[in-house]
Amino acid sequence: MTAVASSPELRPEPSPESHSGRDDEPLLHIIDGELVVTERRGALAGLLHWFGEPMRAAWHHRDLIMAILRRELNERFKGSMAGWVWAIVAPFLALVTYTLAFSGAVKLPNQVEAASQFDYALFIFGGLIAYSFFSEMAFRGPSLLHEYAHFIKQTMFPAEMLPIISTLRATVYALIGLVVMLAAQIVLTGTVYWTLVLLPIWLIPFLAFLIGMTWFLAALGAFTRDAAYLMMTLAPILMFATPVFWSIDGFSPNVRLLMYLNPLTGFIEIIRHLTVLGSLPRLPVVAWTLLLSLVSFYFGFWFFRRQRDRIADVI
Amino acid sequence: MSSSDTVIRARNLGKAYQLYDNRSQWSKQVLLGAFHTYYRSFWALKDVSFEVKRGDSVALIGRNGCGKSTLLQVICGILRPTRGELWVKGRIAPVLALGSTFDLESTGRENVMIGGAVLGMRRPEVLAKFDSIVDFAGVGEFIEQPIKHYSTGMRARLAFALCAHLEADILIVDEALAVGDAAFQRKCMDWIEGFREHGTLLFVSHAKADVMRLCRRAIWIDDGRIREDGKPVDVVRSYARAMETEPDDMKRFMAV
Repeated sequence: MTAVASSPELRPEPSPESHSGRDDEPLLHIIDGELVVTERRGALAGLLHWFGEPMRAAWHHRDLIMAILRRELNERFKGSMAGWVWAIVAPFLALVTYTLAFSGAVKLPNQVEAASQFDYALFIFGGLIAYSFFSEMAFRGPSLLHEYAHFIKQTMFPAEMLPIISTLRATVYALIGLVVMLAAQIVLTGTVYWTLVLLPIWLIPFLAFLIGMTWFLAALGAFTRDAAYLMMTLAPILMFATPVFWSIDGFSPNVRLLMYLNPLTGFIEIIRHLTVLGSLPRLPVVAWTLLLSLVSFYFGFWFFRRQRDRIADVI
Repeated sequence: MSSSDTVIRARNLGKAYQLYDNRSQWSKQVLLGAFHTYYRSFWALKDVSFEVKRGDSVALIGRNGCGKSTLLQVICGILRPTRGELWVKGRIAPVLALGSTFDLESTGRENVMIGGAVLGMRRPEVLAKFDSIVDFAGVGEFIEQPIKHYSTGMRARLAFALCAHLEADILIVDEALAVGDAAFQRKCMDWIEGFREHGTLLFVSHAKADVMRLCRRAIWIDDGRIREDGKPVDVVRSYARAMETEPDDMKRFMAV
């Protein structure tokens, strides 16, 4: 850290005299509870501007996002003696357990002949990574703003960045799990598929979906503890309504359509295609999943923004 | 739109807190808010209009619950005003409730990095000023310890040191310096005096001497409105007189 301190500053520091008439000074202008927008935009340009808003806000607060993320990961990995070892041991043990439990299965649940006895374990594990990522956000979301109440109440803290930060934090754990899974795949079956390179493209809509969901849950949870209880009740049920241990291909087409209403179904199907099966996911599934993540992202953002001013009052 | 010297302008500013009798009222407000209002409003600020020019130093005085802190929080952008116009230009250093914004489990270093980012500093800027911040705070090797091991005074020191390095245009101080020891208070006061030479100061304090020393103007806020605005000597005198004659009105915390 000290090495960086000697580097020249990005922004030249204004001398005291230049305080009068700086152009880059932040400006706050509110009339009757509404921010005054100086730039005039047409309807379409305004809409496009709104769609870009979450990204612009995140870029603006990038240093804050990184500072808190760094702290959270430090806490997670320095607070314990073994540090990173735990993060790797947990998914590894889970994988070993599934391998032992399901190694007898020769047919994958989607009626594809298993290439090796380990495929079924990997098949479950892929779904489980996505599901535990989701459930961490679902559990943490409603209490997120309470965790950071000290920031929100007393400072100009951009509370809408918290769902992004906690989702990124969970991404790190999910990636560790993914790496363990891929390592196991290489060691046990000796094959990785080229479709793996598409995995980052899977991750981005999944993050968008989770961030949107967390925006919604966090805003809801700020006002009522019911949101936390609701998620605690729903998440275990949802686990059985989600194809983690099975595949939806065994069901009749009508039931299948119903299952795609669960947004996780599509995400899990796609990650299985890319990692264990090595084939391209079906296009309608990809399109539907993409649509769901966009809806979640922007609905969550819209909802959080709408409640934002009340949040500082009630937290 | 506004004279180039103005840094803060408030016109008929009002802030209402929404009070709900119970949680279900809030859910109804979210779902059916377009048709019916399910909350009562508590107007912490009713009608406040004033203008602050660059380089001004203004004291805000008033009894507990008169709306001083709400006004400061509104100006800082923490709370959004319900009605009226607010116009603020410049980087603000909010010295509010010093140290209470720190995360207890994080080290001093982590809190400085996070706090600096919250205040709008870029990472290279915080890193470049880091040693100077630690020096000013005088916390020494404690900077690597979690904040929970700090005394209240040490927390306040670190928080003030951070604000002092912000190179802000507007400094907002909310009776926060009371926790530090005399030596540190003097250090802060000296620093604030130096700051006044190029920056704008908003200062809330119940200490008459500090108001007289630091400010050239005082605004007395009473019941969410400005009661008197003028020279510190005059305003402080009428405020002191009112405190002696007017009873402590218990009804002022009622919502309508």
